[in-house]
Amino acid sequence: MPNDFPLRKIIHVDMDAFYASVEQLDNPDLRGKPIAVGGSSKRGVVAAASYEARKYGVRSAMSSVLAQRNCPELIFVKPRFERYKEISHQIRNIFYEYTDLVEPLSLDEAYLDVTVNKKGNPSASLIAKEIRQKIYDTIGLNASAGISINKFIAKVASDVNKPNGQKTVNPEEISQFLEELDIRKFYGVGKVTAEKMYKLGIFTGKDLKQKTLEFLEGNFGKNGSYYYNVVRGIHTSEVKPHRIPKSVGAERTFNENLSSEIFMLERLDHIAEELEKRLKKANIAGKTVTLKIKYSDFTLNTRSKTLAYYISSKSLILETAKELLYQEKLQNSVRLLGISLANLNTEKKEKTTDKESISVQLKFEF
Amino acid sequence: MKFIVSSTYLLKQLQVLGGVINNSNTLPILDNFLFDLDNNKLTVSASDLETTMSSVLDVDSDNQGTIAVPARLLLETLKTFPEQPLTFVVEDNNTVEISSNHGKYALAYADGAEFPKAVELANPSSTTLVGDILATAIDKTIFAAGNDDLRPVMSGVFFQFSPENLTFVATDAHKLVKYQRTDVTASQVAEFIMPKKPLTLLKGILAGSESDVIIEYNDSNAKFSFENTELICRLIDGKYPNYEAVIPKENPNVLSIARNQFLSSVKRVAIFSNKTTHQIRLKIAGAELNISAEDIDYSNKAEERLTCSYQGDDMQIGFNSRFLTEMLNNLNSDDVSLEMSLPNRAGILTPIDGLDEGENVTMLVMPVMLNS
Repeated sequence: MPNDFPLRKIIHVDMDAFYASVEQLDNPDLRGKPIAVGGSSKRGVVAAASYEARKYGVRSAMSSVLAQRNCPELIFVKPRFERYKEISHQIRNIFYEYTDLVEPLSLDEAYLDVTVNKKGNPSASLIAKEIRQKIYDTIGLNASAGISINKFIAKVASDVNKPNGQKTVNPEEISQFLEELDIRKFYGVGKVTAEKMYKLGIFTGKDLKQKTLEFLEGNFGKNGSYYYNVVRGIHTSEVKPHRIPKSVGAERTFNENLSSEIFMLERLDHIAEELEKRLKKANIAGKTVTLKIKYSDFTLNTRSKTLAYYISSKSLILETAKELLYQEKLQNSVRLLGISLANLNTEKKEKTTDKESISVQLKFEF
Repeated sequence: MKFIVSSTYLLKQLQVLGGVINNSNTLPILDNFLFDLDNNKLTVSASDLETTMSSVLDVDSDNQGTIAVPARLLLETLKTFPEQPLTFVVEDNNTVEISSNHGKYALAYADGAEFPKAVELANPSSTTLVGDILATAIDKTIFAAGNDDLRPVMSGVFFQFSPENLTFVATDAHKLVKYQRTDVTASQVAEFIMPKKPLTLLKGILAGSESDVIIEYNDSNAKFSFENTELICRLIDGKYPNYEAVIPKENPNVLSIARNQFLSSVKRVAIFSNKTTHQIRLKIAGAELNISAEDIDYSNKAEERLTCSYQGDDMQIGFNSRFLTEMLNNLNSDDVSLEMSLPNRAGILTPIDGLDEGENVTMLVMPVMLNS
């Protein structure tokens, strides 16, 4: 496989049905039973489902009502994020025994760069095996792993022998592995992109590989070159131990769908307050405010505005969010509202050499 | 052509008119005063093409004639004379000879016909107001006008006349002043933008003046007539920004404070602010106003606390200290009020006392967003 980049050894560790497994771990009565973590109310959504439940077609992000219909024996368990965080922390500590280059993607997933590792073990596959064993021995949970030369392939590979398995994609196997891969399995290809790919006659990695860069850029914009590269096994993104968040947000799903902006303002007030709290905690500010509106038919609408200056206070977030809310008529009743702040001042420091304290003299909007 | 005139009387008039003349002119004739003699009336004019100002002087003569006399040379000469009669005689060799008690001085003159004619105002509307009111209106607003060549409309003062009131507005997009008189009105609604230069001249001449000023105007020019003087100028062409739209309507946070105390604190704290942004920070909570500034580059820092009266939510807002200083300096009241809504919305500064009946001042200043 032609590749100018130095070969790295990347492991992607993914916990199996993490939230559900933690619940089963803590409560022996739930073991071996179909359970779903999430609210059971008519508006609840499944956050995670145990493998027993998955057999019945229960999937995460599915509405609780539908999940119950698919699996009448399904047991709903309220999520306990504090507990998941605690276990996630323990798992992370195991990772750190091998390398400091750990990039957590979420509570239950992380990339590890073990090219150089603390154990001096040259085999990433053996390290992955050891880590999974250690997680099972000390915590009692199953994990799957993907091992390869970059984050993208490792991530895709971890899914291959899931649950409780691992897959190594050696450099010489990459080409074939990616060519045979279903386009839907490509990390970064979601439902919408997959459909678009289908329409363009792209069903597998092989199909994707046959397309030119121009073609992909023409159809997928900036992502085009990403697809072009990853299918060739090229993905140079490093394992970043301190992932800097790109955006901070808060959102709320309502018990009743809201149809009037007036009620939404009150909710936005709470959401903005929560967001302010999160920003304060991380001591960051951002320039781009995005208002997320999920309608009762689950269609999603986002509206954003970029200001000339960084904001972090509730009053200004709310002010901008309100403006975005009134910017366009609502098309339906609303089930969820969210506000997020991107273009954070943390990014700036990385990119530019400018001094971070830039104040902006505002002008009248003539 | 010959006339006799008092030296100090002539100097006084010429010094006022001299303000119109630019230091460097593309048209050399504009370096001159135009002397237009009609028996006992000598009309002296100066122009920069945009603005022409003329005054009628009483002289002793029974001649007519028009000549253009070098302004700088004449002014320099007149400044040196004690009060005495001077005789001006136009000689055949294109010189004008001035005879004083001390001697004779010959100046080369140009033909008066070369001097650009002031425009005649076609179908003007007119309004009359007391000189001092106009001077005050100019004084209150002109400092806020901008210098941006790209937005020429904002480099002037907006005159808005109506049967209810006269309004004068100036802004540079960062600060804005609206000065209104409800005790003076116009017969018709009219709007025009006056350039800064003629306004500065008028302000100087009319300060404290009790004489009436007749303002005539049409779409392109305005004429100000008072006593023996007329000033005609070209207006700034264009549409003035809709300034009313940027005045925040709801300002729940209101700070009241002694102007002098506020001003001196701002001035002092500003010394410690960043030299390019001049940014100061106001933190208001309860009855305490905290003014602070910081120049990170030099580790300079200042903080003052003032007692104020405040209604509203605790807030923090940044301003350019220069703007605040200019505005506070321009007011004469004992106390001022600063109304605010959000840290990214304009603050409204108004005097609480010291206004004349029918007088109204509103100042707006846009904040600096603090990157905390």
